[in-house]
Amino acid sequence: MIKKLGILLIMSVGVVSGCSNSAMEPEEINPEIDVCEVCNMGVAHEHYATEVVTADGEIYKFDDIGCMDEFLEMEPLLKEESAAKKYVRDLDTGEWVELEKAYHAFHPDFWTPMANGVVSFKDKEGAEHYVEEQGMGEVLDYDSLKKHEWSWGQ
Amino acid sequence: MWRLIRPFAFNFFLLLMLIPIHTDADEFKVEGGQSIQRAVDNAGNGDTILLSPGFYKESVVINKEVSIKGEEGAIIDGGGGGSVITVTASNVVIDGLTIQNSGSGQEDSGIYIEKSDKNVIQNNTMKNVQYGIYISNSFENQLLENSITSNNSHFSNRGNGIHMFKGGGHYLKGNEIANVQDGIYFDFTKDIKVSENHVSESRYGMHFMFSERILAERNHVEKNVTGFMVMDSAHIDFRENRVTDHFHFRGYGILIYETKNVQVEGNEILRNSTGLSLEYGVDTLINRNQIAANQVGLEFMGKNENNTFSENNFIGNVVQSKISGEDMRLDDGMKGNYWDDYSSFDLSGDGVGEEAYKAGSLYDRLLRKQPYWQFFFESPSIKLWTKAEALFPSFGAADVYDARPLVEPVTMLREAEQRSKDRMVPGVIGILFILFSIFVIVKGRKLR
Repeated sequence: MIKKLGILLIMSVGVVSGCSNSAMEPEEINPEIDVCEVCNMGVAHEHYATEVVTADGEIYKFDDIGCMDEFLEMEPLLKEESAAKKYVRDLDTGEWVELEKAYHAFHPDFWTPMANGVVSFKDKEGAEHYVEEQGMGEVLDYDSLKKHEWSWGQ
Repeated sequence: MWRLIRPFAFNFFLLLMLIPIHTDADEFKVEGGQSIQRAVDNAGNGDTILLSPGFYKESVVINKEVSIKGEEGAIIDGGGGGSVITVTASNVVIDGLTIQNSGSGQEDSGIYIEKSDKNVIQNNTMKNVQYGIYISNSFENQLLENSITSNNSHFSNRGNGIHMFKGGGHYLKGNEIANVQDGIYFDFTKDIKVSENHVSESRYGMHFMFSERILAERNHVEKNVTGFMVMDSAHIDFRENRVTDHFHFRGYGILIYETKNVQVEGNEILRNSTGLSLEYGVDTLINRNQIAANQVGLEFMGKNENNTFSENNFIGNVVQSKISGEDMRLDDGMKGNYWDDYSSFDLSGDGVGEEAYKAGSLYDRLLRKQPYWQFFFESPSIKLWTKAEALFPSFGAADVYDARPLVEPVTMLREAEQRSKDRMVPGVIGILFILFSIFVIVKGRKLR
């Protein structure tokens, strides 16, 4: 009996610890409770949300790619590819895309929750289409986004 | 086929019959079923269009200086596409309409005002719209006594009650807003006064982003996720507002983030998860507020510079303050605040306690790092720890204290008035009773 209980205990520990996010997958946004790690604003505009998922299963959520950038400036250790994955969402479909693979459209007048003016897409066509549709802005890939000066250039 | 187009045909026939003809008189009536747009097109600047009670299914663009006044029961229905009324002219008056069913796009609104100034929007009711009133790049509009609700979805899918984007100089008074995303949203705006509005059942009561010189007075925000959300703004004044019942998991009464020159004076901040929270606040003045019955009364996070904090009443908060970050004085050198858990005495009789009130503790700092430790709240070990900390102050977290704690709560003006009134009534009743008894006694004696 005691042995059985012991096995049960060990098994349950296994189950509990097995819940860690080893694949570093992004988590769905719940607008009712999720707030941005940096600015505390509720994540209501879900398609603008971004996430940092660390190797040890921590998930940080942001309402805007600009806040994620600010967070990574504060936590330089997480900038490494192996330490954490960074996700953005395609504005049109809401698909999660890894930051390295995403394309962005930028113009100071594009609306985003924190007015950073950067919106993300899963492919270059999406970003180009958005720029065309708005009649302004430029397309950024990962490298040019790294050089991007974050500011509220109003 | 005919069955499908019959209603339209009928309407069209009615229209043909009842086209309002523009005379020299500057006031004409529109009846239900007729087109308001046509009336606007036929009107000249300065004319008034009166809407009889009825159902007007159309979207209207107002590009002239006209007044549109609805009698009780005049309903404009946008039919679920685009904005119901779009205003592009200045000096327009929209008064007494019911406006419903806008589209659900990014900026679809009950009334959309674009680059137009000095309009007056009053006594309107907006229902089932994405945004109530959206004011873009405009100046000096007055929004008075409107009532606004959005659609019945989750707040993340709704628009805001009143959204102001760039421009400024507006005056908002007495609007009743419920069930929207954010009640009143200030987006890159300046010089706005908002008074006596009531916002409830939404995400944020008022949301300030990148805005300057705004006065919010005598508003009541209640039962939202957060009452006032202030971010990256400057010169925001809150006076005599009531901020109550924000018990949401992430709820705050007032949250001030990266903002300069905020004044919070004479407000009632009651029953919130966190009453007042400051993060990266600079030059704030927080004075004579009633901060009571909150889970956490006061929260300071990160760096806050040059804040003056005096004559506030902290009464009956579960946790008086949570402070992590910099050292800070909680008094202005002359007067501090009333803390109901202050345990020392006033020996000199000047109304100020002789010992400093120390806010925050190591436990608070631990909570910042490990929120789950809330579980040990008020447990014997934490009690012991806090006591030990009080005995050896060097032990503690950041040095946050009130050197001039008040031993009596500050009486707020309104309260004092209220109190004298409250005393009057029983007094008068008592005197009446006494007079009546004397009368009975005297009469009774005579009867014997």
